Amino acid sequence: MMPEGLIAVFQALPYILQGSFVTIGIVLGAMGFGLAMGIPLALGQVYGSPPVRVAVRIYVWFFRGVPLLVLLFLFYFGFCSLLDINLSAFTVSVAVLGLISAAYQSQIFRGAIASLPAGQLKAARALGMSDAKAVWFIILPQALRLSIPAWSNEYSIVLKDSAVAYALGVAEIMARTHFVATRTYQHLPLYLAAGTIYLILTYAGTRGLRLLENKVRIRGYSR
Amino acid sequence: MENDPILRIEDIKKAYRAREILKGISLSISKGELKVLIGPSGGGKSTLLQCINFLVMPDGGDVWLEGRKVNPHRKRELYGYRQQVGMIFQDFNLFDHLSALQNVQIALLRVKGMDKKSARERAVAELERVGLGKHIDHYPAQLSGGQKQRVSIARALAMDPKVMLLDEPTSALDPELIGEVLAVIKNLVANGMTMIMATHQISFSSAFATEIIFMEDGLIVEQGPPSKILSSAECARTKEFCSKIYDLHGEGN
Repeated sequence: MMPEGLIAVFQALPYILQGSFVTIGIVLGAMGFGLAMGIPLALGQVYGSPPVRVAVRIYVWFFRGVPLLVLLFLFYFGFCSLLDINLSAFTVSVAVLGLISAAYQSQIFRGAIASLPAGQLKAARALGMSDAKAVWFIILPQALRLSIPAWSNEYSIVLKDSAVAYALGVAEIMARTHFVATRTYQHLPLYLAAGTIYLILTYAGTRGLRLLENKVRIRGYSR
Repeated sequence: MENDPILRIEDIKKAYRAREILKGISLSISKGELKVLIGPSGGGKSTLLQCINFLVMPDGGDVWLEGRKVNPHRKRELYGYRQQVGMIFQDFNLFDHLSALQNVQIALLRVKGMDKKSARERAVAELERVGLGKHIDHYPAQLSGGQKQRVSIARALAMDPKVMLLDEPTSALDPELIGEVLAVIKNLVANGMTMIMATHQISFSSAFATEIIFMEDGLIVEQGPPSKILSSAECARTKEFCSKIYDLHGEGN
């Protein structure tokens, strides 16, 4: 039993590992998209006018409340055909995971911004800074530093969620593993291998973010 | 010309819902004067100072800087005005992610658009002036309260303000650190800086203030030169308040 399993894993490994590039592509795309959208959402929720705040809250409520799989099918099979646009399953996966991550990331940044002493914004304004400059030079550099631990958590969640892209036929780690497993019937060793690849990717990412956190730590603050 | 007020405010009003914090405050200050706001907490001193540079938007009233009325609803004008009015806060409000040098530099670079070299030179000079030449690379978390407040004074001075507003600059400090900050403020007085300061430092005020303004319940109750306001019988309310402070803190500053 065991030798066949090992042989199956070794034979399938290059094929599955190629899928890890697809997985990494989805995660980087979704996290980047979520970051680019999450920051403005957070700023809108903290500093925006009442209608803006309501809009952000509705956005967050929607994308945190609907299951990933439902959203993937809704966008891929629903909206894409309704609007008659032809997007690849990969693109839709990145977009949907990104839209969801933006909702979660906006709450990470919102919390970090809220935790900063309000007086710093006042001091920046008192020096003649516009609100945009104060946010860019004073608020965000501190809020983003504070966000790294929670952001690292979000990374590991998006990484694992990316396996659901399998349902749209994206050839990432999970899809490839499933493909091999149904042919070789070596489910146990193959899924163990897939799980191990995810663990390694989680470790690498969180470790990297931990290093970044230490690198940008503000001097004078204890760990 | 010398006696024309640099800054004049007229009938400043502010209410939070039904609570009136400022019930119409007017005052003016000429070059080189130090006007001290005293009075019980909650009397409106801090709100008044923040209304003067529109960190708190007044409900009514006007502010003139060098004879020009400030329109706070025009952003460019507001930002330009604030550059000329330095503000010192009770709890320093330093930018925690920036070193002392960067705290002083940032507005020179990002607001005044100075080049890096001159901004740095200016920031170093201001930090030296407040006695922190050896601490320019320290971060706020590595500085004592007195040092932080001196950085914040250097940060304001670097902008070449025409007036400075000081909101209880020593109230958050340990007693042994108050002296170093007062020494810096004393120096500003000697160099002719125009300042409005809210404080509980009665003896400092009586020694250096041009005028003491006693505020209570959103109104100016009594005002005048220290000699008059701290001793004469007509200023009974001020005297009573000051004697309570003396009881608490003794005769020292």
